[in-house]
Amino acid sequence: MTEPLIYTIKGNIPISSLDYSAVWLDTADFIKLTETYRLEGEIVKESVHIYMKRALESTIEQGIFG
Amino acid sequence: MANTQGISGVAKQAALGAIVDSKTLKGALYLVSATTGPTNTVYTATGEVSGTGYTAAGASVTNANAAGLTSTTAYWTPSAAITWTTVTLSTAFDAVMIYSTTDTNRNIGVFTIGSTTVTAGNLTINMPTNDSSTGLVRFA
Repeated sequence: MTEPLIYTIKGNIPISSLDYSAVWLDTADFIKLTETYRLEGEIVKESVHIYMKRALESTIEQGIFG
Repeated sequence: MANTQGISGVAKQAALGAIVDSKTLKGALYLVSATTGPTNTVYTATGEVSGTGYTAAGASVTNANAAGLTSTTAYWTPSAAITWTTVTLSTAFDAVMIYSTTDTNRNIGVFTIGSTTVTAGNLTINMPTNDSSTGLVRFA
C-alpha cells in the first residue's frame, strides 16, 4: 500500500516521517486548536482551527428627558 | 403592572439589520503589531497580513443570516466558518475584521483570536450558535 503524503513547505512528504502535535488553547474569547507537523524539528505544516466564543456585544443606552 | 422604559427590541434588530442584512461581507486578518480596532471606520490594508495564498482584503464571509431578535436582544452571526486554505502566514496575526463591501467597506467589528501563524495549512474560524446568548454580534 502506498504511504500517504502530506503537503508541506518542503513539498509532499510521507506523513510517517513527520512529528505531529496538537495544542488546544481555551480562552474566554475563543478555543484554538493548532496542528503542527515537524520535519527534523522544523515546522513544515501548521493549521489552525478557531471556535469563536465571545461575541461583540453593544449595549444601546436610553437617555432621559432633560 | 407598571410601565417599563427601554429601547425596543425591534429597533435594535432594525439597527443591526441595517448593517448586516443581505450585505456582502469579507474578513481580513491583522498582524499582532497592528492597531486595528473598533475605531477603524472601514477596512484598512495597514497592518494586514500577507503571505502565500492570502489575498489582500481577506476572504468572503458567508452571510445567509439576517439580524435576529429574542426578547430585546438583537443578534447576528455569519452563517458559515471563515476559511483560508493552504496558506502560509509566517508573521503572527491576532485579529480578524469583518467588514461590508456593500457599504464601502464599513467595519462591522474586529475580533481577536490570539497570536497565530499558519504554515502550508488551513485557517478556519468557526462561528458560535446564532442566538441571543452566543451570537457573534449582539445589540442588548
